[in-house]
Amino acid sequence: MSHAAILQNSLTRHIEREEDRQRPLDFRLIARLYECTAACGSKRLWLLLLVIIRALQLPALTWCLAGVIRGPVARHDTAGVLTGAGIFAVLALSTQIVLHYRQRLALELGEAVVCNLRSRLFRHIQKMPLRWFQQARAGRVISRMTSDMEDIRAGVQDVFYVSMVQLIQMLIAAAAMIWFDRLLFLILLVLVPVIRWINHRFHARLSAALRNMRESWSRVTATLVESIVGIRVTQAFCRESVNIRAFTELAADHSAWNTGVLKTQGTFQPLLELNSQLVAGLLLFAGGWRVLAAGSAANVGDVVGFLFMSGLFFAPIAILGTQYHQALTAMAGAERLFRLLDTEPDWADPATTQPARIVGQVEFRDVSFSWDGRKTVLHNVSFSARPGQLIALVGPTGSGKSSLISLAAKFCLPTTGSVLIDGHDTRMLDDLTLHRCMGIVPQQNFLFSGSVADNIRFARPEATTEEIFRVLEQLGCRDVLESLPQGLETSTGESGCNLSSGQRQLICFARALLADPALLILDEATSSLDSQTEHRLQTALETLLAGRTAFVVAHRLSTIRRADLVLVLDQGRIVERGTHQSLLQAHGLYADLHRRFTSD
Amino acid sequence: MHHDGSPMAAGLALQRNGKGICRVSSRPENGPQAGFSQQSRNSDRLRRLFGLAFEYRRECAGVMALQTVLVLLTLGTLGLTGLGIDYLSWCVNPSGQSPGWPFGIEPPRQWSPGFVIALLALAVVCSALLTALMKYLNAAASAVLSQKILIRLRTDLYTRLQLLSLRFHDAGVRSSLINRAGSDANQVRQFVDGVALRVLTVLLTLGVYLLWMLRVHVGLTLACLASTPLLWLSACGFSRVVQPAYRRAGELSDELIRLLVENLQGVQVVKGFAREQSQAEQFEGAAIRIRDQRNSIFRSLSIFQPAMGMLTQFNLLVLIGYGGHLVIRGELSAGSGLFVFAGLLQEFAAQVAHITNIANSIQASLASADRVFEVLDEPIEITSALNAKRLPAIERGIELDRVCFEYVPGRPVLREICLRISAGECVGITGPVGSGKSTLLALLKRFHDPASGRILFDGCDLRELQLEDVRKASGMVFQDSFLFSNSIAANIAFGRPEASAEEIAAAARMAAAEEFITRLPEGYETLVGEHGCGLSGGQKQRLSLARALLVNPSLLLLDDAASAVDPETEQEIRSAMEQVMRGCTSLVVSGRISTLRRTDRIVVLSEGRIEAVGSHAELLRRSPWYRQLNELQNPGSEPGPIVIPFPVRTAARRAA
Repeated sequence: MSHAAILQNSLTRHIEREEDRQRPLDFRLIARLYECTAACGSKRLWLLLLVIIRALQLPALTWCLAGVIRGPVARHDTAGVLTGAGIFAVLALSTQIVLHYRQRLALELGEAVVCNLRSRLFRHIQKMPLRWFQQARAGRVISRMTSDMEDIRAGVQDVFYVSMVQLIQMLIAAAAMIWFDRLLFLILLVLVPVIRWINHRFHARLSAALRNMRESWSRVTATLVESIVGIRVTQAFCRESVNIRAFTELAADHSAWNTGVLKTQGTFQPLLELNSQLVAGLLLFAGGWRVLAAGSAANVGDVVGFLFMSGLFFAPIAILGTQYHQALTAMAGAERLFRLLDTEPDWADPATTQPARIVGQVEFRDVSFSWDGRKTVLHNVSFSARPGQLIALVGPTGSGKSSLISLAAKFCLPTTGSVLIDGHDTRMLDDLTLHRCMGIVPQQNFLFSGSVADNIRFARPEATTEEIFRVLEQLGCRDVLESLPQGLETSTGESGCNLSSGQRQLICFARALLADPALLILDEATSSLDSQTEHRLQTALETLLAGRTAFVVAHRLSTIRRADLVLVLDQGRIVERGTHQSLLQAHGLYADLHRRFTSD
Repeated sequence: MHHDGSPMAAGLALQRNGKGICRVSSRPENGPQAGFSQQSRNSDRLRRLFGLAFEYRRECAGVMALQTVLVLLTLGTLGLTGLGIDYLSWCVNPSGQSPGWPFGIEPPRQWSPGFVIALLALAVVCSALLTALMKYLNAAASAVLSQKILIRLRTDLYTRLQLLSLRFHDAGVRSSLINRAGSDANQVRQFVDGVALRVLTVLLTLGVYLLWMLRVHVGLTLACLASTPLLWLSACGFSRVVQPAYRRAGELSDELIRLLVENLQGVQVVKGFAREQSQAEQFEGAAIRIRDQRNSIFRSLSIFQPAMGMLTQFNLLVLIGYGGHLVIRGELSAGSGLFVFAGLLQEFAAQVAHITNIANSIQASLASADRVFEVLDEPIEITSALNAKRLPAIERGIELDRVCFEYVPGRPVLREICLRISAGECVGITGPVGSGKSTLLALLKRFHDPASGRILFDGCDLRELQLEDVRKASGMVFQDSFLFSNSIAANIAFGRPEASAEEIAAAARMAAAEEFITRLPEGYETLVGEHGCGLSGGQKQRLSLARALLVNPSLLLLDDAASAVDPETEQEIRSAMEQVMRGCTSLVVSGRISTLRRTDRIVVLSEGRIEAVGSHAELLRRSPWYRQLNELQNPGSEPGPIVIPFPVRTAARRAA
């Protein structure tokens, strides 16, 4: 069915451009990958040696087999046959021993490289500014860490070493065949370009087919996921039969692409195998005529030997083709990985001496800010907060509240103007120095998977259970968390699914209080809770805020009321400032918002 | 072979949607409860799997016929080459062994040896071409067979999933359902072409080869195949060692991804508390665990593979020694004897290696079969009765008659609810978290049937009405306003895909959504949802309302629809809604006094019971809970704990 028809009938329109799977060989990328193996220098050297030995052993084995058939067997020399078998046994054993070490070293080398690259990438990502995280798509970053790494690993482990073994093997087989019979070899050579061409066409067609198949599969999964997540909506609107029809078409479409892939493989695989059988026919014909012309029995042996060696010559071609494509895949993975590793963080840590402690005096001096360099989200913001003050940020969606707190936390740097903390420009402050004296409660109450206690301990993993209890008592919520199924050892589940939003918020408060920060950044949750929980949260918040400079994106009137300074933001500007009372009397935007909510 | 994209890709789809899944799933009322009823026994599963294969017996027979031809052709090509060699030796040395012509067909004496050789070579070439053709046909036939089964399984699963009640969907198996229709379905169909047919093929191939080899020379056959049981045993042993190791590798890799995703999503927390170093160390630990574990797999792999290679070469060794000896003694020909034997031995080893794969496939297929059949066997709880009545629209009213409901037996969510709502009335429902407000609406949609008591539309029990009529009678706006990844127009027309553009625009206008939609660059064709553009909570809410209005319902169910909307928008929606609600009956779940005050009657629920019913003024007198709610939201003098979502911020710009 046509692509357009699928779009019209489907439940979802899944549009995601696939990343390139392959890219041409690039010497610089290869060199960088080679550098990555530098840590395992001796392994690399041994591998090279083993590869060369193995490349010699494989033809030797076949040579031995062919030699026995055309020599002692043809001559009816029993002792010779036994000697030959003995040589074959020794050779075979040594080949397998070499294979063991070659495989093991290559696999370990690849794993070591991947393990190092993963750590490097993770540390690199951590240095990226908040802006990067807002734009990055989790799925893409995960592919850097998983599938791209796998491609690189395969490249390091296999491509080079396997190709080398196969190439040398081919050369030796060719030499041996020339030695047996030059003319027969020339006949064989004719087939090489044919095979190359088939191989090339095969991989081009197959990768196109695979791409279509994967894209259709992602349409199937996207539809499936949404059908299950949105089952309530589907059943509420009686869409079951329409959805089933659409899904059936999608499943059939995917299966059609799948059949395409299987058929492509089914066309080319036999074609490649066909070669060796065609060669057998050709050899029989050409060799046979020569034998009949010469009339010598020894030449029959040559034909047999030739038949064996020709297998040795042709088998590597298919393997080399696969390896070549694996190399291209590895290149694409390496290119994406290195591109990410080469992305410079927005700023580097300054070399100046750092203050030992931060008291929490914050000043914004004529700060303007833009996330992307185009749209300015904060215009000429100036204000200052003394240590211990509570600054409430109020304003409609998109007015710049989050940008302002991101600047105060040095998650980003101002475009113009400066943010001063304890009189130091944040540009001159080391990230870690600042963040060690800072605490944050994000709006979504983000928790890591693990136990509740692990999450509270996040900022100070060395904290004792007594310290945790003390913090919980200060917040007045020890009983809430202790009454969880397994108390503080209750698992938070992925993104905290097992806990109610009130419980999650309390855990975030405890996490921040245990860190005992001088500067607190708090993005109030918007969801309304029942009044009892709400009351506890308010009390806990009081404790948390006491004695700290705090920036709060405020949604609750109680928080705004006790703020030392309320900043009312609108379209990136501070339009009003003052305390709750003074703003109410000013009869401006704030008073208007307040009136709409309270009196209805 | 697994042809369904990489499992990774499917995993990612899950990752991306992970948030969505969480958001909708965990309902506080029911704990994580096993969603499925029974575990079937191995023999039952096998019987069902073979039953599935039997349904496709025509296709299976076709594949098997092609396989038989293929085995014979492979043998033919090898045999002809061997014959050629023998013929050559005989021509050169007529005193030696004469070639064994197949079926006694000897070429006429007068044909020159060159001509015979040319004929033989031609036969080899033809047989090779025919093999290639048969292989292609076989691949195509298998592909068609496997995909037929796959489509059938996936469609069956999907159909079942669409029809199963919310009780099933809420039982917490959501993410596994996606794998069931994806990789598990694939594993089940693999039973047909990867296990059942493969076993037959291997048996056929081995049998034919063995017969041929025995025919050539019994002693040599036995000597060469003596090590085969060893080959098989070691392969089985290896897979037993490695299987759990691979599973473990999968778990370790999940752990790594989890750490990465958490650090992407929780970047503010990690940076905000200066925990970069310890997170990096944790991640490094996970990476190192993966490395070490994989190295241990590789160590066994790099012992196993050479060992297998050694065994295969041992067979060749026997062939050289013993076979060579036989050729010298004239008991075996060099061509159709030695040469063919060498070729067959290699094919034999390849087939034996298949057997180990088959053993693994059986295990995987059985496990998947369990997961697939569980879904297919799950009874559909909620359907129309046999002679169900029709109900075009609710004209008289709704009645709840002593309705009780529980998700988990023994933990009632609604108790003895009695409520009469006349047509055109607007009823507000409020109460603390977990008091059963949303469940009440779900019962009116017949997502569940009450445990006891009755729900009546126009005096008719819902269970006696056509399910489709019950569901279409009401339009529902959900708390989370889930939108599908599709265009705005398609989302609004969700309940009536055939709706015209004018109807869609009219619904949008009623829901106060038209203005912002037309301001979007692509208007009604803008893509929304997981993969589309980010809409604010209020905008999603309005689209969700438009979707409910398009079906022209006689009953409107609004589940806390205004909770995520900022004050300006709420007023806009409210005035739009008032117009809409004037004509039809409506139930509005809300925690906002401002919304509740506008209804005709307010029901306060508490722990599944109706605590009080009345107008705003009446409830201020009668319900302490309602009075407290009012006090919190309209504070007089006391500064208490305040729940007003003051300028609500929606997650407009959030890390992806």
